Amino acid sequence: MNVNHNQTTALLGWSLQAIEAIDKMNRPFVVVGPPEFESFAEKNGILFVPWQFNVPIEQSFELYEKLKAFNVKITVPIYEETVEWAGMMNSLIFENPKIYNKSLLLRDKGLMKRRAHLAGLRVGVFEEAYNKDDIARFFNRINQALVKIDDEQLEPIHVKPFDKAGTVGHRMIKELKDIEEIEDEEFPLLMESHLEGQEFSCEAFIHNGKIKFLNITEYVKLGHSNFVPASPTLEQWRPQIKEIIEKLVDSFDVKYGIIHPEFFVTPEGEIYFGEVANRIPGGHIFEHIERAYGFSPYQGQILCCDPTTTEEELEAFFPEEVVSAKGHSGNLMVYPKVKTVSKLNVPTELKDHPYFVKHNMFIPTSSKVAERVGFGNHYGSITFFGKDPYEMRKLLEEYEKHNFYL
Amino acid sequence: MSTTITKEKKTSTTRKKAVATATKRKKATNPIDLLETKFVAALNTLDQAKPFAKSLYQTDVFQLANELACMENGITILDKYAHLFDNAGVFLGGDWEDPTKLQPPFVGNSLRLRGIYSIIEMLSEMRMLAIAKGTYKHAQITKEEANAFLNEVVALNLDLLSNKLPEDSSFLEEHIVRAQYLFNFLVQELSFKEVAEQMIKEIDRLTVQRPIITRRIVELIELSEQLLNSTLDQETFDALEKYCRAIDTPTPLSKNFSNAREYRLKLEEATEQELIAEAKLFAQSMIDTGLVSPYHVVLLRFLNRKDSEIIPVALGLAEAGISSFNDHKKLIHDIIQIAIYPQTKQAVYGLSNMLNRGVLKIDSLVPAFGQLFELPIHAEVQKQLSAFATDQSGISMNGLLIAGVVSVLGQPLGIGQGQNPTCQSARAISLWAQFEPNLLMAYIASAARDYNIEMTFEGEPIHSNLLTEGIAGDIQQDLDTISILLVPHLDKIYNAMIKRTLLRGEDGHKWVNREFYGEWIPSGFMNAIDQLTLKVKNYSAFVKLFYATHHPMYNEGSKLIYPNPVGIFLTNIHGELLGLHAVSIQRIENDQHGDCRVYFYNPNNDSTQNWGQGIKVSVAGFGELEGESSLPFHEFVARMYAYHYNPYEQGDTYMVEERLVKNVEELAKDSWGKTYIWE
Repeated sequence: MNVNHNQTTALLGWSLQAIEAIDKMNRPFVVVGPPEFESFAEKNGILFVPWQFNVPIEQSFELYEKLKAFNVKITVPIYEETVEWAGMMNSLIFENPKIYNKSLLLRDKGLMKRRAHLAGLRVGVFEEAYNKDDIARFFNRINQALVKIDDEQLEPIHVKPFDKAGTVGHRMIKELKDIEEIEDEEFPLLMESHLEGQEFSCEAFIHNGKIKFLNITEYVKLGHSNFVPASPTLEQWRPQIKEIIEKLVDSFDVKYGIIHPEFFVTPEGEIYFGEVANRIPGGHIFEHIERAYGFSPYQGQILCCDPTTTEEELEAFFPEEVVSAKGHSGNLMVYPKVKTVSKLNVPTELKDHPYFVKHNMFIPTSSKVAERVGFGNHYGSITFFGKDPYEMRKLLEEYEKHNFYL
Repeated sequence: MSTTITKEKKTSTTRKKAVATATKRKKATNPIDLLETKFVAALNTLDQAKPFAKSLYQTDVFQLANELACMENGITILDKYAHLFDNAGVFLGGDWEDPTKLQPPFVGNSLRLRGIYSIIEMLSEMRMLAIAKGTYKHAQITKEEANAFLNEVVALNLDLLSNKLPEDSSFLEEHIVRAQYLFNFLVQELSFKEVAEQMIKEIDRLTVQRPIITRRIVELIELSEQLLNSTLDQETFDALEKYCRAIDTPTPLSKNFSNAREYRLKLEEATEQELIAEAKLFAQSMIDTGLVSPYHVVLLRFLNRKDSEIIPVALGLAEAGISSFNDHKKLIHDIIQIAIYPQTKQAVYGLSNMLNRGVLKIDSLVPAFGQLFELPIHAEVQKQLSAFATDQSGISMNGLLIAGVVSVLGQPLGIGQGQNPTCQSARAISLWAQFEPNLLMAYIASAARDYNIEMTFEGEPIHSNLLTEGIAGDIQQDLDTISILLVPHLDKIYNAMIKRTLLRGEDGHKWVNREFYGEWIPSGFMNAIDQLTLKVKNYSAFVKLFYATHHPMYNEGSKLIYPNPVGIFLTNIHGELLGLHAVSIQRIENDQHGDCRVYFYNPNNDSTQNWGQGIKVSVAGFGELEGESSLPFHEFVARMYAYHYNPYEQGDTYMVEERLVKNVEELAKDSWGKTYIWE
């Protein structure tokens, strides 16, 4: 690597994939993570700073001092919970307090939605809820506004925590009694009107405020299946999508790193903003990008987080979007549909399909299935790779219905 | 290493190409080749990953290994690459990482787990096989050791070695199918002879301890019967056949008539000479193995009616036994009539030993037996014992109890605690069966009739039927009848006594043992752990006093009259503390080499354990009696935390050399001692 990078990068959050990626870049790094990984890090010669990210951000100076001892010049957030820590560390490193404040925008789903709205992005109707009554009122008002009377199918709304990654804690409210299932400790929550259309996410690699690489991930079913790159049906909107993301980058004043926004697109091409995160996306999206394009998105993120990375380096690193992809990489996340698992049922037709790459399902040692919370905790996943995006979509839809656990 | 994989991959592709030209269609549809390619690729990726990142790629290897292992010939493919597993990092970061820490007895359980652990376990056996075959050289494990490891694994799990491969495997769970393929492959690679030898070793090891409950031994023998059909040398064949016949038909006559009725009819026609010959063979087989054939029972019941003079021969009685028999003919007749049935057949061995021990010389024991014949049995006890009397043999509840008493009195060191944390209770029954049979009989009568046992603690009575809590929750039923009857009561009483001493600031056993087991336990008591601070305190004094009171060279020649109930730290093969355990020292004597050994009773009945630091408990070969375990004196001391002693039979502690103490202390500190703070 360039001599400019002879400075230490700190990864905030423990991710073996990210560690492996930066290790291959031959640049000095240190990992900041929960203390339970300390002995592992030590055993494997990984520089490590034990840190609990669930402590008040006021303690950040202590972490800063520790990182200074390692000559840290940039920090890279890995998980949702480390975004504001990276913001604070980079504020201190670059002596620019705004970096921290901007990172907070990306951590509060209510705030980010307001900001996007102010920037002229199309958003659904949303409000914050502090108790169950708030949700009931919002749900009723939305349905009143849409003039849905009792007999008709009510319009659903969505609720999710302000600051959790991906689908964690995301619930859909279809009728008033669904509200009762929410635990009091889950509040506050963001409530949103339901948006129709194709849902997708983007992974935008940004350096110096410019998009260097834009991936579009097509969601087949939220929280269950997706693939990269998206099909032509979705990719046809790329210019519009790119324009909106540029707007987002400008209004949020994102300079370096990756953003992972989620959108809906209506059949008419109207694009609605859902939310945006400043960290590595879930749903195996990074794996897909790597399989389809052949570069490590983890390395891409690190390069983009580093202001000293040159244009040439970025040019050489990122391939051309869509056309350079070797195929479509997708996966299906599998949840047992039974209460106890006694058998694994992976059909031979699936394993024989040319798109089938691998699966990681094992019969669990304990047969009792953990209760699913919101859209979270899948048991295993199946990876596919192939040329035809419509065949991919068909496979993901088809096997989503299959019972892999009996 | 990665080059090796690439090379392997290349050879397999060239081979495949050759096949492809011959039968093009077959190659395209051969899923096992495709899997092999995927497996090699996954192994290669894993190999290239840095150690910290291995876990990201292990799953793919496990997944594909699983697919392969569930297919016919899949194990052969895994075997091709098994020598690469360790270096590639297949086991890195898990319980299987260091093969020197693996133990054959644990393999079977792991293989029978659903999910990922059984896959890793299977791969671990493949690695061991590679070491045994010499394709993989391990720094610490020799070919011979790997071979012995696998022989033991196969021997202990012969049930997985089905004679035919699982054709219709749809009803079998994946991990069992996999395990069966593995075992069928392993025996092809290993020799049947070595597996059989290992099996005999295992059966020898268990039978030499002469447990009352022989279920596990019988299971092993039944499993090993299939090995008789394979190519074995004469010696191995004979040794195995001896056991197979001992539990079935050890005599020529019984062999020809393999059901009880026909055999009984044949006995009617037999001459006196033939009967004596049968009786001798049965007795010999029983004495050799500790196992009783059901036909032995048929013979004994027949002789009891028709020819009681031959009974001493059938029981294999020694001189003392014969005299005891002659003194109590009526009682023995009744015992056989009421209590010796095919399902209580092991009591024949108990009866033989009981008579040889001369227990019936104790005056009040005969009336105590008499009482049991007519004792009304409490409904709860009937429920407890119902599992033993389900068939239609016609044995009564009283008969079951008497058979149990006979076993316990005949094999006091054969009493086991099964899977229960009730070593204290098992030890109590064993001690009473040896030294206070009258007390034991009184407890049995009281528990069977009243469903209650009464003991006193410092003058206050304790009734078991008024207590709700014991140490063990549910008592597992893998026990002999007397233990099933008594243990629930004893466990509660013991617990109640311990509770009363909790606030005394000293180990409660100091008082409880004398009240619970008997007044004959010496009043001196020493614990290595300070009960207030839970630190090891004054350890050298603890060791010195034990030498001065128990070692024949230092205790002025005082002999142990009664067993000494002591507390030990149980440690695993790595010397790590597993927990506290109760055993009793039976005697302390020099072995045939002149080394002083502690001979002790361990209620867990699987006494040949490896306690780490080279401390291996022996059950035979150093003059152990039936059911005894033994260790060199200093090794035993190094695992002990509490003992009783008689202050009136004590040598001088200053005569114990410092180097002895130091030796023991080092062993202690480097094992269980790591869990404690030393003062």
